[in-house]
Amino acid sequence: MTFLALSPLQTALLAALTAGTIIALYFLKLRHRRVLVSSSILWRRVLDERQSHSLWEKLRKVISILVAITIALLIAVSLARPEIESLTGKNERVVIVLDTSPTMNTHTADGRTRWQHAGDRARALLNTGGPTTEFRVVDTSGETASAFTTDRGEARRLIEQMSPRSVEPQFPKVDAGDSQVFFVSDGVAFHELPRFVRRVSVFEQAENVGITAFEIRSMPSTPLGYEAYLEVQNFGKPVEVGITISGTGGQRITRTVRLPRNEVFKEAFDLSSFGGGGVRASIQSKDDALSIDDVAFAYLPTKRRTRTLLVTRGNNYLETLLKLDNYVELLKTDPANYRESPNIDAYIFDRFAPSTPPLRPALIIGAPAASWLRPATGEVRKPEITTWSENHPVMQYVSVHDVSIERAARIDPANLTVIAASKQTPLIVASEKPKWVMLTFDLDQSDFPFHVGFPVFVENVLAWFNREQLALRGSPGNVEVPLAGAQIRTIDGKTIPSEQQLGKTVFEANEPGLYAATQGDARVHVAVNLANRAFSDVNRSVFKDDKLAAGPRYWLSRELWFYMLLAAVVLIAAEWFTYHRRITL
Amino acid sequence: MSTANVTLFDDEFLKKLEYLNIISKRLFAGQLRAERRTRKRGTGLEFADYRAYVAGDDFRHLDWKAYLRLNRLILKLFEEEEDLPIYFFVDSSQSMNYGNPTKLDYTRRVAAALCYIGLANLDRVNVISFADGVKGELPPQRGKGRIFKIFRFLTDIVASGETNAKESFKTYCTEKRRRGLAVVISDYFDQHGFESALDILRHFRHDIFVVHIASHEEIDPPLRGELVLVDSESQVSREITITPSLLSAYRAEFLRYCEAIESYCGKYQLGYVRTATDFPFEELVLKVFRQGRFLK
Repeated sequence: MTFLALSPLQTALLAALTAGTIIALYFLKLRHRRVLVSSSILWRRVLDERQSHSLWEKLRKVISILVAITIALLIAVSLARPEIESLTGKNERVVIVLDTSPTMNTHTADGRTRWQHAGDRARALLNTGGPTTEFRVVDTSGETASAFTTDRGEARRLIEQMSPRSVEPQFPKVDAGDSQVFFVSDGVAFHELPRFVRRVSVFEQAENVGITAFEIRSMPSTPLGYEAYLEVQNFGKPVEVGITISGTGGQRITRTVRLPRNEVFKEAFDLSSFGGGGVRASIQSKDDALSIDDVAFAYLPTKRRTRTLLVTRGNNYLETLLKLDNYVELLKTDPANYRESPNIDAYIFDRFAPSTPPLRPALIIGAPAASWLRPATGEVRKPEITTWSENHPVMQYVSVHDVSIERAARIDPANLTVIAASKQTPLIVASEKPKWVMLTFDLDQSDFPFHVGFPVFVENVLAWFNREQLALRGSPGNVEVPLAGAQIRTIDGKTIPSEQQLGKTVFEANEPGLYAATQGDARVHVAVNLANRAFSDVNRSVFKDDKLAAGPRYWLSRELWFYMLLAAVVLIAAEWFTYHRRITL
Repeated sequence: MSTANVTLFDDEFLKKLEYLNIISKRLFAGQLRAERRTRKRGTGLEFADYRAYVAGDDFRHLDWKAYLRLNRLILKLFEEEEDLPIYFFVDSSQSMNYGNPTKLDYTRRVAAALCYIGLANLDRVNVISFADGVKGELPPQRGKGRIFKIFRFLTDIVASGETNAKESFKTYCTEKRRRGLAVVISDYFDQHGFESALDILRHFRHDIFVVHIASHEEIDPPLRGELVLVDSESQVSREITITPSLLSAYRAEFLRYCEAIESYCGKYQLGYVRTATDFPFEELVLKVFRQGRFLK
């Protein structure tokens, strides 16, 4: 027997003190009332006869004090929270880690899912152990991590609330020092586990065909042309797969292919007949066990050319580049003749800046002096680009690591987004309101125009200014959108809760889908797709139950103190009953 | 005499005694004279029997008419008229000072009533108080006028001491006593047993009448819980827990004890009445009359 609340010595002292007190009280109890009777002859006869014939009469006093001591000891010792390992188990801690990776949605032969089986196994684990066993329930998505509790009901409720998440799973950090850690999983997403983890497998072979890649990309050979790249893989027995790509305008491409086991179907579909908007790819196959990877989304930008006014004293590189750009309808003027026009979609100021900011976005080259721009505080010679933001829309597919710059202006980047910088000064900065991008160096002071990334950079800038962009790609889970204060909606118009983090909007995408983040005139689309071989390959598991996967069961489901207090109450009731009938003293 | 004792024999009580006296005469009217007689043949007025004349007999009692008819001398016998004594043995041990009213008070009233009837019938009434010995003795009294002397004697009895009826009766009877009616009024709680005491009286050929007094507190003790019972006579105490079953056992034992006394009396044809102190004493006296032994 061990004690949870007191040490054995303290418990022994408490028990001794209690027993001593009861015995002292028993002997110090009120003296019996003296009653005079005419004669004790008859009483003596009755008592002698009873006492001589009944062992009970002899033991009655002893039993009474024993019952009183027993009641007091039951109450006193229960304060120490005793436990007997053979009855209640020892005070142990059990961590149940539930795999909430997407593959747990895979259906099994009985029509249920691996997740439902996992729930059963986890609940079975909760039924093991003793009343003092503490349980903690954790998942692999980071959503659920309860504290240790002996309340199995609370743990069960927690399990009921959990569900597989379409996010990259991670085995949680659990302290195995004094805990048993059970991991209920199909083992698809986890191949390496800490040695102390006892595996509880819910794996079962299943058929699955899944979309492993889907994206819309521009066709370099065709102006304003886009294609949809689709990858489908079969992770089961050979099967015929129906493929459908549909657009919001009712456009539809269908294909049926036969895929042998582990075969990958890859194809780029021409979307020239599609209008702008969301594009959905879906596959259909027989006995498919996992549906979450049967659909994928992308966004097709609306086709529109940008009216761009180039204000320059002469810049052949830039002018030629813009003329060659099919998305640009180029207008040109010199700084002296500059007039702001409502028909212009974007401006490019080459070593010039108007006195007031234009109403439309502008790309400013060099660091011209203007009240609405940051003044140059000096000059930096041969600045080396050391940092740049690849995530910014204007830097998509642009590499600037080997760009050489002869001179650049030194400016204060406060409240500006620094897109590229040297150690001494920002080199490319952006402002959201008013919207502009500025290079702090002249193009003729740099070899940037000769880099392959320069046309892409210009294209990205103009696209960021006016054109719809291709959708950002994301995986289910937390998705970051580089647009501060944006409102997130699904393709159906349903608003999704979001949070603001360091100039970004973060939302949680539980399912694959197309999401739109809007902030004023700005709009960014995010295509969230599972599109992950690791998740679609639902049979990639060698998971088996460990021998000690099941915990022991014990006789008593509550702590011993509960039964001791119950016994004390029963004894008190019995003593009360027998005392008032003078069966006991 | 205490106030309590003054009220014990008040006018109301005296009226009841007179009433009992009348009742007793009515009950036995036409049967016997009130006076007691011996079985001796003697010189009384009542003819008893005949027998043959022998030398030395009194000529005056010869029946001459019978001689003329039978030609034999036949002597007429007459009953000897003799007043036989009544002995009232009043238990005055400490146990009699129990109950409400006390058994001793009740005994006083019963004894006084029976004494009055006896006196009214011209019997020779003796009253003896006893406990562990003879504590007091009232010399023989005769005639109704002596009742107040008896009242005083009864009133002066103080309950004390343990009961030892055997020694008391032995002490009293071994002195030269005439045989008579011995009325023993007691609770019969005697450590030495009641049988040996009554045996003494039987041995001296007294006609015995047993009046068994019990208080209702003895018949159905109002006791509960853990107590120390103290014997009023021996002062011996004993811790006890009164349970319903124990009370039942006690009541059964009390009944057995009463039945043992009654059985003894039946065996030796002794008069026996048992009463509780809450029973009207005049009713008890009438019960005694109905037993037919007290008045002959």
